[in-house]
Amino acid sequence: MNGGRLLLALALLFGAAPARAQPSEDSVKAAFLPRFARYVAWPPPAAPAPGAPFQLCLIGRDPFGRLLDRAASSELIDGHNVAVRRLASAGQARGCHLAFVQGVAGTDTARLLLALRGQPVLTVTDARAGPQRGMIHFTIVGGRVRFFIDDAAAAERGLVISSRLLALAAGVRQRR
Amino acid sequence: MNTRHVATLLLLGPACAAFSGARAEAQDAPAPLPAAAPANPDLSQLSIEELAQLPVRSASKREEPLSAAATALFVITSDDIVNSAADSLPEALRLAPNLNVQQVNGHEYAISARGFNSVETANKLLVLMDGRSIYSTLHSGVFWDVRTPLLEDIAQIEVISGPGGTLYGPNAVNGVINILSRDAGETLGGLVRGTAGTFEQSAAARYGVAVGEAGAVRFYANWFNFDDHRQAPIGPVLRDRFHGWRAGFRGDFATARDRFTLQGDIFDNRIASLPGDRNQGHNLLGRWTRDLSGTASFRIQAYYDHVERRYLLTFDSLETAEAEAQLNLQAGAHDIVIGGGLRTTRDEFINNLNAFRLNPQSRRLWVYNAFVQDRFALTPTLSLIAGIKAEDTSFTGIELLPNVRIAWHPDDRTLLWAAVSRAVRTPSRIDRQLEFPPLLTGGSFQSEKLVAFEAGYRGQPTARTTLSVSAFYNAYDDIRTTEFQPGGALPIQLMNGLEGHTYGVEAWSASQLAPWLRVNLGLSTLWKRFHEKPGHADLAQRDALGHDPHLQLFLRAELTPVERLRLNFGLRRIGRLAGGGGGEPPISAYVEADANLSFRLSDTLEFYLAGNNLLHRTHLESNDTQRATLAQRSVYLGTRLRF
Repeated sequence: MNGGRLLLALALLFGAAPARAQPSEDSVKAAFLPRFARYVAWPPPAAPAPGAPFQLCLIGRDPFGRLLDRAASSELIDGHNVAVRRLASAGQARGCHLAFVQGVAGTDTARLLLALRGQPVLTVTDARAGPQRGMIHFTIVGGRVRFFIDDAAAAERGLVISSRLLALAAGVRQRR
Repeated sequence: MNTRHVATLLLLGPACAAFSGARAEAQDAPAPLPAAAPANPDLSQLSIEELAQLPVRSASKREEPLSAAATALFVITSDDIVNSAADSLPEALRLAPNLNVQQVNGHEYAISARGFNSVETANKLLVLMDGRSIYSTLHSGVFWDVRTPLLEDIAQIEVISGPGGTLYGPNAVNGVINILSRDAGETLGGLVRGTAGTFEQSAAARYGVAVGEAGAVRFYANWFNFDDHRQAPIGPVLRDRFHGWRAGFRGDFATARDRFTLQGDIFDNRIASLPGDRNQGHNLLGRWTRDLSGTASFRIQAYYDHVERRYLLTFDSLETAEAEAQLNLQAGAHDIVIGGGLRTTRDEFINNLNAFRLNPQSRRLWVYNAFVQDRFALTPTLSLIAGIKAEDTSFTGIELLPNVRIAWHPDDRTLLWAAVSRAVRTPSRIDRQLEFPPLLTGGSFQSEKLVAFEAGYRGQPTARTTLSVSAFYNAYDDIRTTEFQPGGALPIQLMNGLEGHTYGVEAWSASQLAPWLRVNLGLSTLWKRFHEKPGHADLAQRDALGHDPHLQLFLRAELTPVERLRLNFGLRRIGRLAGGGGGEPPISAYVEADANLSFRLSDTLEFYLAGNNLLHRTHLESNDTQRATLAQRSVYLGTRLRF
């Protein structure tokens, strides 16, 4: 074995890299959010125009802060950037492609989700905030951030979720 | 009379009893890291699959493990089970390197951690299924043939080797197996599974529906058949074909502050040894959890469980009812858990096989307990966990079970821990009330006692590897012996004449060597040193110590060469079992393999070819001369359809 490979092997075995901080739960969720746009097809009238960004809306509480802006800024999907909008209510949600929905209390999340019904918006919720579920619902499984997918609700809104994303889900409610 | 087998033919009985503690979250468990985990993780560089595999720091302090952090914990995930060749709960437990699993015959298994293994002596393990304690008060062991859950419903199995500490209940002496089923909200839609092989067949179906905005309920049924195993040279001539069904439901409902769970099962299965041999049972459990504020929560749980076993001319029934409450509080640097519970069992044992009997034949027993545990952050990286549990049982009165643990997190990749705990195995009905007049009478058998010293490391020594290493020294006293009266007179009694110690090391690792290749390694060792205390002579020749290998080695690899294809392959080497004083022959070490090759035809349809014990047509895992048949190679085809 030559010196270079030996060093590489030692690095693998003993972690020559400096101690790596385990990422926080929120930073991984923030990394997922803009990424979801890559694996969802919107019906043609709702898809972004050429050169226009995907709109990722935070409706209600913002648990992510700059984590989400940073994650969104590094995303480029088929020539579309991802723009982050922070909204206080669902009434301003026109044009949103993805919406992370979190009320101040659990009941608010339900109300916000209800207000988004009928719009082609991929709704995302977090089990930490309450049991109310959007089309994607973050949860923690085995110390990892995973999610449930309600493919039936997505189908009602004309959204098509790719099988690659469905395969990652901790559980899928299948489309009828 | 062979006094060594004084309990043998009685051990054909029921199940239930104990306390479930705070749920251990899996994030402390060693598990694979993503293939790419750079020094300062730039998450935007990771694929979505890698993100999903990235261990994270929990955002919620309250869900961090209370008992589990500073303990030897191995977590079997639902994916591990479904991707393996396991076709039953005991086979799935082979995935945990800190357990010794012996298949005794077609329906019986002996499973233990840190020694004392055999059907009759594996009595120091607490097994919980969704908070229901399932060890039998007859002999403090588990009848695995009355526990046949739908494997696809299991969310995870936490396997703790070592005393469960304050939060778990009686019998958590050498270990705890905590089996948790999935929330009903995670199992919406349908699942149909069928398997068929020359030796075994199964069929299962499940359907889950949403109820309202934040509730769900699922129903399941499964059926299985395992054909007769070949007779072992050392064992009895008994048929052991095992077949039956189980069905049940689970509903989960939530509001902003409350969560409710209601679940139940009913089962019926048969063993071909004698006509009429049959296990039946049902259970119902309710749980209510309320968030009191951002920093406190309260939980109440109650269940009823009934099991009946008819086996070889014996009838054994056990009825258990338990209620428990638990309060979790966070105050400054303290994480406090306070709880208590009460359990009552009513059993009956009728023996038409031989003259052994329980006196009285039927008895109601009570267990009360109360506990408190505090996890106190001494510094940001150093925590002290101290707890005590008081337990009052019908046989022994009040027992105190304290434990102290220390956990040091020098950095995010490393946990070093050490613990000292006291645990007891309270007497079973057999320990206390078994008779064979005029040779044997019930005595004043006391609890078996353990003081355990443990230390361990758990962490990520490299970006691609997680590793857990733990060492233990267990000092036991008052272990069961079978003795004459002082002076050599009859009747014989069960007494507490043995003392001694065990020590060993357990280690396991998981490495993501490439995006398509994950390798898990495992090892456990065990040494036992016991002697009779002055004035005691054990007629059973230390039978209570069980039969354990010194060394177990495990290798498991999971390959996903292309997107829809997955190969899961396991190899295990289980060390030799020494012979016993009661005529048990030694059993040589064995190496066996299992594999599951799965192909996903579409997102909803999966086919797999799986096999257990692939290397030999038959092999022997247990030296139980009363029960053992040969473990057998079994290959089967399976399919799962989800809709």
